[in-house]
Amino acid sequence: MTKQISAKEFYDQVEQGQGVTLVDMYADWCGPCKMLAPVLDEISAQYAGKANIYKIDIDQNQEVASRYQVMAVPTMLLFKDGQLVDKLVGFMPKQSITQKIDAQLV
Amino acid sequence: MRVDIAVVGTGPAGLSAAINARQRNKTVALYGSADLTEKLVKAPEITNYLGFASISGEDLADRFKDHLKAASIQIIPQRVVQVFAMGDYYALQLSDQTFAEAESVILATGVNLGGAIPGESDLLGKGVSYCATCDAALYRGKEVAVIGYNAESIQDANLLSEVVAKVHFVPFYKDLGGLSEKVHVLEKGKTAILGKDHVEALQVGEDEIPVSAVFVIRDAVSPDHLVPGLETQGVHVAVDRQGKTNLPGLFAAGDLVGRPYQYMKAAGEGLVAGLAASEYVSKLNRPQASS
Repeated sequence: MTKQISAKEFYDQVEQGQGVTLVDMYADWCGPCKMLAPVLDEISAQYAGKANIYKIDIDQNQEVASRYQVMAVPTMLLFKDGQLVDKLVGFMPKQSITQKIDAQLV
Repeated sequence: MRVDIAVVGTGPAGLSAAINARQRNKTVALYGSADLTEKLVKAPEITNYLGFASISGEDLADRFKDHLKAASIQIIPQRVVQVFAMGDYYALQLSDQTFAEAESVILATGVNLGGAIPGESDLLGKGVSYCATCDAALYRGKEVAVIGYNAESIQDANLLSEVVAKVHFVPFYKDLGGLSEKVHVLEKGKTAILGKDHVEALQVGEDEIPVSAVFVIRDAVSPDHLVPGLETQGVHVAVDRQGKTNLPGLFAAGDLVGRPYQYMKAAGEGLVAGLAASEYVSKLNRPQASS
């Protein structure tokens, strides 16, 4: 399962963190987000120990959403060593997401 | 219930795909206008459809409807908003915000010859949205615009007006009946979406209106937006001779895959894709849904 995090955890573990992290900015009312969830759960399992996969509810954590100018849900933010390196807007098939993660793991 | 094959589009390609898949005993869900595509119905005379030296688009459409009836296929009159590749099946988001599931999908949505509005592609996901129900809540307290091409855009403008501070509406659709009084209707003019990193304004004619988002509501969206991850070549979907796309189990046919934009060619490609999708589903070896 993809780990749900709070804004505080986001600042501590993503912005101050090391390695590759993908954060799914989602909302409960968003249809495509519901479809993305099982895809990210699979990726979480597959990348355990290699990359962190988190999700954050934008309605509960609006300051994070506005800091990264999230204009559509879902938006996936990809970080490397705390720096934003890619922004993936909208649903994507699993392979498109893992390609983006792999590109940061090398 | 998950069907074997979902067909998106009710032009000759989609109808032919659905009929041929049914003949292979597959369960089929056919999505699109119950009156069939306007491109067909509005053709005054067709002179190159085999078997008919001269026939009107309307008459040919009636023949198509009879053929569907004979094959016991009913059109589901919903717009498919987006198609999601879930890995081992497809999820289709419908315009009533429900989801449908299919093992395989055939896209036959035609080609949008109108083209994008200046700024639309560059600012997609940065304030440009195709789905009001999806993204309305992101713009609470802000001003937004709707560029409306169909009846659905009226409902979307009304919905937005309940959520955001103000809605401006650019009507590319004649019948504005039912539009909420809260929606500000603009004079139609040369339209462009302005902004650098995100949407900042909508230009209509000589006026620039500051807005945070622009919702473009039309029947056809670009295929790579309709199916995230789909490979395209210009305005067309990239396919092989079987109608296979880069996504396993997803096929395409008709004007969507390339020229010539002809009814006969579309019907033929629909047949090819219908059979290819049927073969794909058969090879999955899933327990057969009763038809």
